[in-house]
Amino acid sequence: MTKQDNHAARAEIMARVRQRLAPVTAADADVRKAQAEEAIRAVARGPQPRMTGDLVERLLRKLEEMSCTTDRVARLNEVPRAVARYLAANSLGLSAVTSPPLASLEWENAGVSVAVRGAADADLVGLTDCFCAIAETGTLMLHSAPDLPPTLSLLPETHVAVVPLERIVPTMEEAFARFRAQFSDMPPAVNFISGPSRTADIEQTIVLGAHGPCRVHVVLVG
Amino acid sequence: MRSQAMFFQEQAAQKACDPQMQKTLAYVRPLFVGKRKKGLEGLAADGLGFEEMRVACQEIRDRVVDNLDVWLELFEARAQATGAKVLWARDGDEVARLLVDLARQHGVRKVVKSKSMLSEEADLNTAFAAAGIESIETDLGEYIIQLAGETPSHIIAPAVHKTKEEVADLFVAHHGLPRQSDITALAREARGVLRQHFLSADMGVSGANFLVAETGSAALVTNEGNGRMVTTLPRLHVVIAGIEKIIPNLQDLATLMRLLPRSATGQSISNYVSVLTARGGLALDSPVQGPEKIVFVLVDNGRADLLGGEFASMLRCIRCGACMNHCPVYTAIGGHAYGWVYPGPMGSVLTPLYTSLKTAQDLPQATTGCNQCGAVCPVGIPLPELMRALRRRTFEEGLRPWLERLGYKVWAWAACHPRFYHWGVRRAVRYLKWLAGGEAFIRVLGMAPGWTGGRDLKAPPGRSFQELWADRKNRG
Ligand code: SF4
Repeated sequence: MTKQDNHAARAEIMARVRQRLAPVTAADADVRKAQAEEAIRAVARGPQPRMTGDLVERLLRKLEEMSCTTDRVARLNEVPRAVARYLAANSLGLSAVTSPPLASLEWENAGVSVAVRGAADADLVGLTDCFCAIAETGTLMLHSAPDLPPTLSLLPETHVAVVPLERIVPTMEEAFARFRAQFSDMPPAVNFISGPSRTADIEQTIVLGAHGPCRVHVVLVG
Repeated sequence: MRSQAMFFQEQAAQKACDPQMQKTLAYVRPLFVGKRKKGLEGLAADGLGFEEMRVACQEIRDRVVDNLDVWLELFEARAQATGAKVLWARDGDEVARLLVDLARQHGVRKVVKSKSMLSEEADLNTAFAAAGIESIETDLGEYIIQLAGETPSHIIAPAVHKTKEEVADLFVAHHGLPRQSDITALAREARGVLRQHFLSADMGVSGANFLVAETGSAALVTNEGNGRMVTTLPRLHVVIAGIEKIIPNLQDLATLMRLLPRSATGQSISNYVSVLTARGGLALDSPVQGPEKIVFVLVDNGRADLLGGEFASMLRCIRCGACMNHCPVYTAIGGHAYGWVYPGPMGSVLTPLYTSLKTAQDLPQATTGCNQCGAVCPVGIPLPELMRALRRRTFEEGLRPWLERLGYKVWAWAACHPRFYHWGVRRAVRYLKWLAGGEAFIRVLGMAPGWTGGRDLKAPPGRSFQELWADRKNRG
């Protein structure tokens, strides 16, 4: 393929699109483009769920509906022991890979050895924080960054996520709003994770642990 | 993929009598319908009605489809601003050519793919194979289909027609590992085999559920996590997407995500929703994990021709599969009979429009007009109306057999001449009663035996509705 060829394809497709739309569009392209840009900027929300009750309770309930396990501690420095307990109770070994936000906790005292790097195929446990957690659906929102490798929540069989209470938001819309307030550019990946990976492709029978993690354990802090 | 839709009648007849296919369909139909129903109940529990959400979703899609020219330019500009490359393909062959060229330019030997119906339109795996490039489907259903050398029979559950024994046979033949008999063990084995492919592939190919204009990103929805693998591990990520897939901004993604998974599998949300963007300001040697490069291939392949006309609403489709899950025809014959990439009601509209009306003319005939599909479609596509419009077009283009066309002409003439019509109906009901010979059902309809090939026709009472009505009025 030469560059020239693809220009021809673009021109042909755009010409066809314009020609078909011409009889049904009211305004000319500049006006409609300005309207489209306005629609992007407006960040108008669609119909919003009316959730009653406590957000934290809702999140815990929805996480469990999505086949996550959950735990809750009062302070961040209690996380390593909680994680150690979970790993021991499920015979998952006592080593994990993690990223800088959690690396500074006292893992050694809790008997967990952590490596700070992206996950490799052989790693059994990935340990992450999250940008926020969505109560509506029991969803964790993680984004990739130089110090937040996306493989931590993808390759290991077990993903343990730490969620401080102030990171809980009601909806995906609210999560995006927070994200916009904090970052001007999109990172390579924003991942919304709702429970362990699953497949129902053989006889419509659900199996947890398709390609991603088989277990997702969430530790709420606060 | 070359359309086989001209063999629809034979295929449908065969599938309707295939015991394995019938067993599968009988099993999955209540499952699909029940899951969606439950999903919508969850939505209602949060005070959101299906109609309210559907209107919102339809508006989002219409906003883009009605002004696709400006949205395409906007998406292209914003994607390029993040550092992505944007290419255009007029048809399936061009998609295949572009992807093979990209693979060659980047020295790719192995490609991993996450599910993309568009790549079936383009017959991409065949093109890669011809170029000596290994390409592996990684959605478990698609992987099974690829090993079997078949095509998907459902857009959400491609291997819905395969039993676990058939899957076990395929795995023994291709993996050379001991035979597994339970479903969990089979899924585990596939995980192990495919994991190695993810780690060694140089290029990931994915579709896009949506293209987000605001950020120049692809939004990808999966349950298995293969979509994340394909778009995270290989150094090159190519997104192939129809030109109609754009949505304005991230809020719209949130709105659509309330209906898409519920319509498809009844889930309140899919396990993974990923918004993928090129590296923007980040330097190539930045330690962030992810592909070095994203290329978008925007594909027409018949889509632009639908704009501005009576079939434009079909471009709203978000490929949830609800229409086929609720279709009495699809659930009687399964997906393969439809002969091309898209089965069920949406396929009965898309196949004639994207391939050829002449060869696919039987598809829009395969409807009971019950509007189950239209009632469940999350973006309000009037599928039965579109099928009727296609039938009209088939007739106008003179594609139906001459006897059928003559029949319609006679019918139309009679319907415009009430006296003659009533006279004819009176004769016909008497003839049918005589044909029944005193029995309640007619077993063989003399002039159209096809009608009674698989069922009996209830015998009429021997007098027409008009006659009975007149009697009643006189008596009244
Ligand atoms: S036509 Fe409607 S119901 Fe059918 S797949 Fe498309 S969006 Fe879903």
